[in-house]
Amino acid sequence: MAKILKDLRPVYVVGVGWHRYQPLSDTPYVMLGLPAIRQALADAAIAWPDVESSYIGTGLLGMAAGRAMLKHLGATGRPLVHIENASASGSAAFRHACIEVAAGIADVSLAVGVDKPGIVQRAFTKTGIGNLADDAIVPFTHFALLTNEYADKHGVKPQDVALVAVKNHRNGALNPNAHRQQARSLEEILGGKPVSGTLTALQCCPVGEGAAAVIVASEDAIKRLGIDPGRAIRVTASAASSEGAGAHATADAAITKDTIADALKQASVAPTNVDVLELHDAFTVEELHYVEAMGVCKPGQAIHLLKEGAFDIGGQMAVSPSGGLIAMGHPIGPTGVGQIGEITLQLRGDAGPRQHKGAKVGLAHMVGLGAVCYVHVLERP
Amino acid sequence: MSTPEVLKAALYAAEGTAAVPDHPSLKGGRCQCGYVFFPLQTYGCEVCGRTGDALQPVALSGRGTLIASARVHIHANRAPAAKPGAKPPEVKPHEAPFTIGSIKLEDGPTVRTLLVDIDDRTLAPGQKMVAKLVSVGTGDKAIVDLRFTAAT
Repeated sequence: MAKILKDLRPVYVVGVGWHRYQPLSDTPYVMLGLPAIRQALADAAIAWPDVESSYIGTGLLGMAAGRAMLKHLGATGRPLVHIENASASGSAAFRHACIEVAAGIADVSLAVGVDKPGIVQRAFTKTGIGNLADDAIVPFTHFALLTNEYADKHGVKPQDVALVAVKNHRNGALNPNAHRQQARSLEEILGGKPVSGTLTALQCCPVGEGAAAVIVASEDAIKRLGIDPGRAIRVTASAASSEGAGAHATADAAITKDTIADALKQASVAPTNVDVLELHDAFTVEELHYVEAMGVCKPGQAIHLLKEGAFDIGGQMAVSPSGGLIAMGHPIGPTGVGQIGEITLQLRGDAGPRQHKGAKVGLAHMVGLGAVCYVHVLERP
Repeated sequence: MSTPEVLKAALYAAEGTAAVPDHPSLKGGRCQCGYVFFPLQTYGCEVCGRTGDALQPVALSGRGTLIASARVHIHANRAPAAKPGAKPPEVKPHEAPFTIGSIKLEDGPTVRTLLVDIDDRTLAPGQKMVAKLVSVGTGDKAIVDLRFTAAT
């Protein structure tokens, strides 16, 4: 019988760090990743040689980015591996770091996401199977179609869907690591550049550069290295999946539903007991899809809760207090790792002006092209 | 005038099906397990994994229902800039704005492609749609590609 993460030895997030997500610059990726890792090491109050393995989430840098970066911490000769899983690359890196520590193969592991915008040919265009017009259907149009379908099905207005971006920009304005740090009015969001369907530019995530790092450790390592156990946040579930047969437009929401349910079951947590939720809100409509898929409310009802402020910091459940992908940004590799960092700050009570008071349980969710889905539950011990 | 060249002959044909003879058909497949898919491939069935003769071609009618549409305002053409003196492309590039539709074919699969001759202000999910071939050639050669439009 296969085991779940909780059946193995406990694993904790003990250090988090970032390089700000920002527009493409001349900064080499090495100097995005290293500051994030050094910040995470300092946060954990451990040294680089204490880290026994590294998982590098990256989608756009190309082959073998890791050692060329990590060697500047002092080349320890320890194993490293790159993980590419589209938008969920960082989430996958975190999952496998957790599994290695939980399994007892390592006591301390690093998950780091680092990326810079670059053109990478998507492998699904090389399958040899033709398509009618995929060259004309980029992700923002995929989600514009889903927005149209959702709005039609539930009688929701485009200006209501845009409220997701108002909330997430407001949160991002409080986050020094966010790509977009400016609060925006509904009028500004709706009046922005039209992109596709009813989506405007500020309802679509910025894809820039940046880095995020998370260090996970076992209880043995926490004791041995003198890590403050009061700042350690336990990872109580890790769930992952990929799209099933019969391709349909709402595959992302379908796999989200199953994967969040799996993670919550692993952690023995009810959807309404989650205090802080970081979602893959690359486009506004996704936040509505996913909170509904999670079972927070019935299909079509998320807008009502959003309007009541239920998803605000300080509301019933803070949804994307970091600013989410829409404001925090979506540099690909770092995104899923950064979500774990934000939840860790929230559960420690260290999130400053973004703090959701009394946060005890957090859930991080990412989907990636394919489609794949990752969900982690973190709890304050 | 000669018969125009079909841009993606592996995906559709000018000839319709018995049920819908007046609109082009799409080249789908049917697995022995009953799964109907588009486009045809013989790598293996997405539902059951069967391969080879278990996967047979099936003509899907060019008729369906609109699930969603989106007017695309921004489109970056990925094709490299033509060098001076290079032959111009034989087919017109996509130029924004254009409209993409998601259409559930009456024979099962859902397809996404460009819509033509539609009014974006009145187009809504539930609209009956049909396939049609439109001219996309840039030179002397007549080339047609598949689009969908509202059924009359």
